[in-house]
Order: sequence, then C-alpha cells, then structure tokens
Amino acid sequence: MEGLETARFSALVVVGLLVLFYGGTFLISARIGKKEENADGYMTAGNNIGFGISAASMTATWIWASSMYASATSGYTYGISGPIHYGLWGALMILFIYPFGKRIRQVAPKAHTLAEVMYARHGRSSQLMLAGSNIVGSLISLMSNFIAGGVLISMLSPFTFTQGVFAVAAGVLLYTLWSGFRASVLTDFVQVVAMLGAVAVIVPVIFFAAGFPAAFETGAERLTPEQGDFFSSTAFMEQGAPYIAAVLAYAIGNQTIAQRLFAVRQDLIKPTFVTATVGYGAMVIGVGMLGVLALYLGYEPTGGDVNNIIPGMAAEYLPPVLLALFFIMIVGALSSTADSDLAALSSIMMADVYGQNVAGKEKANPRTMLLVGRITMVLATATAVAFASLQLNILDLLVFVGALWGALVFPVLASFYWDKVSGKAFTTSVLAALAVFLPVRFSWIPVDGAFGIVVDVLAVLGVGVVLGLMVFGFFGVRAAKVVGVAAVVVSAPFAVGSLHEYATLSGSLVAYSVSTVVCWAMSVRRREGFDFSLIARRTGDFDQGPKATEAPAPPDAPDAPEPAGTTHP
Amino acid sequence: MSTAALTAYVLMWPVLVAVVLFVICRGFFREWAEARRKGEDLI
Repeated sequence: MEGLETARFSALVVVGLLVLFYGGTFLISARIGKKEENADGYMTAGNNIGFGISAASMTATWIWASSMYASATSGYTYGISGPIHYGLWGALMILFIYPFGKRIRQVAPKAHTLAEVMYARHGRSSQLMLAGSNIVGSLISLMSNFIAGGVLISMLSPFTFTQGVFAVAAGVLLYTLWSGFRASVLTDFVQVVAMLGAVAVIVPVIFFAAGFPAAFETGAERLTPEQGDFFSSTAFMEQGAPYIAAVLAYAIGNQTIAQRLFAVRQDLIKPTFVTATVGYGAMVIGVGMLGVLALYLGYEPTGGDVNNIIPGMAAEYLPPVLLALFFIMIVGALSSTADSDLAALSSIMMADVYGQNVAGKEKANPRTMLLVGRITMVLATATAVAFASLQLNILDLLVFVGALWGALVFPVLASFYWDKVSGKAFTTSVLAALAVFLPVRFSWIPVDGAFGIVVDVLAVLGVGVVLGLMVFGFFGVRAAKVVGVAAVVVSAPFAVGSLHEYATLSGSLVAYSVSTVVCWAMSVRRREGFDFSLIARRTGDFDQGPKATEAPAPPDAPDAPEPAGTTHP
Repeated sequence: MSTAALTAYVLMWPVLVAVVLFVICRGFFREWAEARRKGEDLI
C-alpha cells in the first residue's frame, strides 16, 4: 500500500478541491435561493420537478460513500458475483417501489412525507412510528457520511479525521440550509454528473493500469472456487439475501426517497425510477469491480481494513489528476446523501412535528415552519458531527434500521391499497414484529431448539411476503399470492432447520412476516372501510404564498386536493 | 469465466454509467432550455 502513503494531496490541494466542490455547489444553490422561501418548496419543490433533476437526485441520494466501499468489499470478499449481490439488489429495489410510488402519489399528490400520509390515513401513532424511525435512520446516515468524509480526508491529506468531518459537515450545511430540498436536488445533478463521470473514467483506467486483462490469468489461483463462481451460494446467503430484505424496507421507509417521490412530476415517476435503477446499479457495481480486481491482484488493504480497498487502489493506480477526480467523486457521493438527509429531517420536523402535531395544520405558520426546518438542519449536523467521533459500525446500524423498517413495510403498503387496515392494526402489527425481531436479530433467545424452528417458519413466511410484495406492485394481488405461496413452498424444505443460523437475514424476515400476519389478521374481518380520497384532502400545501412554478396536473392525476386544513382525521 | 468474458463483465458497467449520464444530462438541459424559454424557474 505504498501508493496510499506517497500519493497524498498537500493541504493546499485538498483545501482547493473542497473549496471548488462546496463553493461550486453553494453558488448553484445561491442562484435558486429566494429571500422569502416557500415552506412547501423547502420540502418538496412544488411537487413538480422534471425528469433530469429528479433522476439525477434519486440516483445521487441512493448512492452514498458506504455503498461504494461496501460494494468493493463485497467483490473482494465474495469474488466476481460480490458486487452484483450488493449493487443489483439495491438497484432493483428502486425499480420495485416505483409502482407503489405511483399509488402513493395518486392518493396523496401534494404530501411532503410518508409519515404525514400515515397521519391522514390512520392518525398519530402510525405517523410518529414512521417519523421516529426516519429521524433515527437519517441521523445515522448523516453521521456515516460525515465519517466517510473524515476518513477520506485524513487518508489522502495532512488533515485529521475530525478536521475532515467538520469540513464536510460545514460544506453540506452551507449549501442546503437556505433553500432546503430545492438546493439538495439541484446540487444533486452536479454531484451525480461528477460521480458518474468519474466512474466512467476511473474504473477502466485502473483496470488497464493494474495489468488487466492479463492479471485475470495470473491472479486466478488467488480465488477460492466460491469466489470464482458467478452463482456463489455463499455470496447470496451472506450478502445478497440479507440485503434484499433490508433494502426493500429501506426504500419504502426512507424519507429521502419518499421526498423525491412527492417532488417529481407525477407523470415522470416511472422514467425517473427506471433511470435511477440503472444509474445506481451500474455505478455501484462498477466501483465494486475494483474489489474484484484487488482480489485478483492479491491486494492487501491498509491495516487489513477493507474500507481502504477503493482509496488504496485509486492511490496506487491513478495519476494525480484522476486521483483528484476520485476525491471529488467520493465527496460528491457522501454530500449528496448528507444533504438529502438534512432535507428529510427538516421536512419531518416541519410537516410531521410542527405542522401536524404542534401547531396543527390549519394554524401552522409557514415562516415558523421554515425556521423549524433550518434549526433542524443545524442541530442535526451538530448531532451527527458529535456522534461521528464515536466511529460506530455504520453498516451494522443501517442494516438494523433497515430491519426495523421491515416491520413497517407491509402495514404501510397495505394502508395504501386495502381499505380495511386500521390504525390499531398498523400499530399492533409493527410493535409485534419488533418484539419478535429484536430477540432473533440479537440472539437473546437460543435458536438451536424449538424456537429456532419457529424462527425458521416465520422467516420462510417472510420470504413469501418479500417476494409477494415485489410482484404485487407490478402484477396485482393474485400474482403476488401465487408467487408468495410458491416462494414459501419452494424455500421451506431448504430453510426450515437452517435459516436461523443467519441472524441478520432471519431477523429481517421475521419482521416482515409477523407484521404481515398480525396486520392481516386484525384487518380481514373488519367491516368498515377507509375512503382513500380523504388522504388528498387531509394532506397538501402549508404555504399559500409564492412558490415554484407548477405544471398542469397529468391526465391520470386525481382531482386537485382541497385547500390545506379542510379536514382532519 | 474466460478472460474475455471477465473483461467484458468488468468494463460493461462504466459504459452503462456513461449511457445513464448522457440520458440524465440530456433530460436536464432540455428542461433547463424549456424553463428559460418560458421564463420560469427550473426548480
């Protein structure tokens, strides 16, 4: 790893790159800044963003620094299929949720957060569950991006980790604070151009500079049979499967995704999600290939830390100009996700906490909302910086939060399609799922006896739920039932008796199954149904002042919602 | 996998990335031009 030590940037170069990046993004955000920002624009930019910005923003938000590091780690650990088991499933989840996204926008065209919609559908407890989980998830994500920035800067420059964390935090806050979500999505475009452009150049350069394709032959003996197998079951069971379960929940539960769903023009949801699917998958898998190359080369990351594979390979094989481009790529990835987290946190505090629960929708003052949003951004940044110093295991935390969201997926989705789901069923099913998830995930109860069989059965049901939900979005309830039942029947003989050995996977799966079973059982006999048209009337703009330009509603849009505050659940 | 297949497998992703980059940029600049023509804000 000599490259990493000798290819460091001087302090002046790093400061110059950071000023170039954050100064440029600040100037871009300043161009769209308004003296009097609109509160709804601050949260969703007028629900009217075009394809270019929304596709770029969705891609940039879904890609964060850790996804690149983790994909390369997966390639280095599991071999040639490793990046697929990280990037492909993450990408497909964007695709799988777009039919749900269309439905969500159909019933709540002018909402700001998913939690706000749950308030309109069920009331306060479901809203606070979703909002609370989002606050925790976004704070963890924010912290992890600051950590990634601190590590990168300390690795490639004379600056310390703490100085790096402060630089990244200050830079992100600088350009996001005034215009909120509008600044976040517009700068996402520039950041995604930098990221995608960098990957398109850097991966081939490293490939040839490292001696490939000849190194595939000279290094083949370094791979185990599993690492050389494109259909490695180890890679699927240890990386792919847990990730599928976690990331579906992440895509549904995460406010950063929901916020973009509510912001994009309604008729552009499909092309936006499809483009982001391909963009995310190609980029993350492409970067993950650096881990595969490192494996063939017999590369030893600094200190044995697999997070050093990408920076190490870049430092070893890239000329200084491309190393600077690499630096910008990572800073762009972590900044785009961090600004999305800030925008998500501020909108939750604005719409769900202040707008719905403190002032009440009719009395909410848009100016106060903006103040709440901006104070939230400052406090969230300070909190994330403080926690960044703890250097917690971020991926473990995120998988944990993803599994927590797994308990919410069925109740949330069912609430948009099935009129029988009640608030009581929602809350009870989520709490029941968490009560089973926690002991399974953290092995609080030994799983080598009868409890292990119970866990396996629930986990197999969870497999059916996950696959059924994926199919349901595209093909409807009948196809979903067929696929769900088939998945249970096919997987049961292999899974019962062994699945409990994979605590992360089985924990996620039981969260899905328990919440589904309880929610279904409490709803199926209910007689009274819910009128979904109420949601559009119960959500909507808080601010009637000047806002971003609005396009006419697309032909398939529902009737325009009534003015804010006309009805409450 | 053969060396040629592995090479294609690794290098197809940067190519795909470049295609997506083109699609996103084309969409962005079209919308920018349209917003300018109408005298509206891009966002």
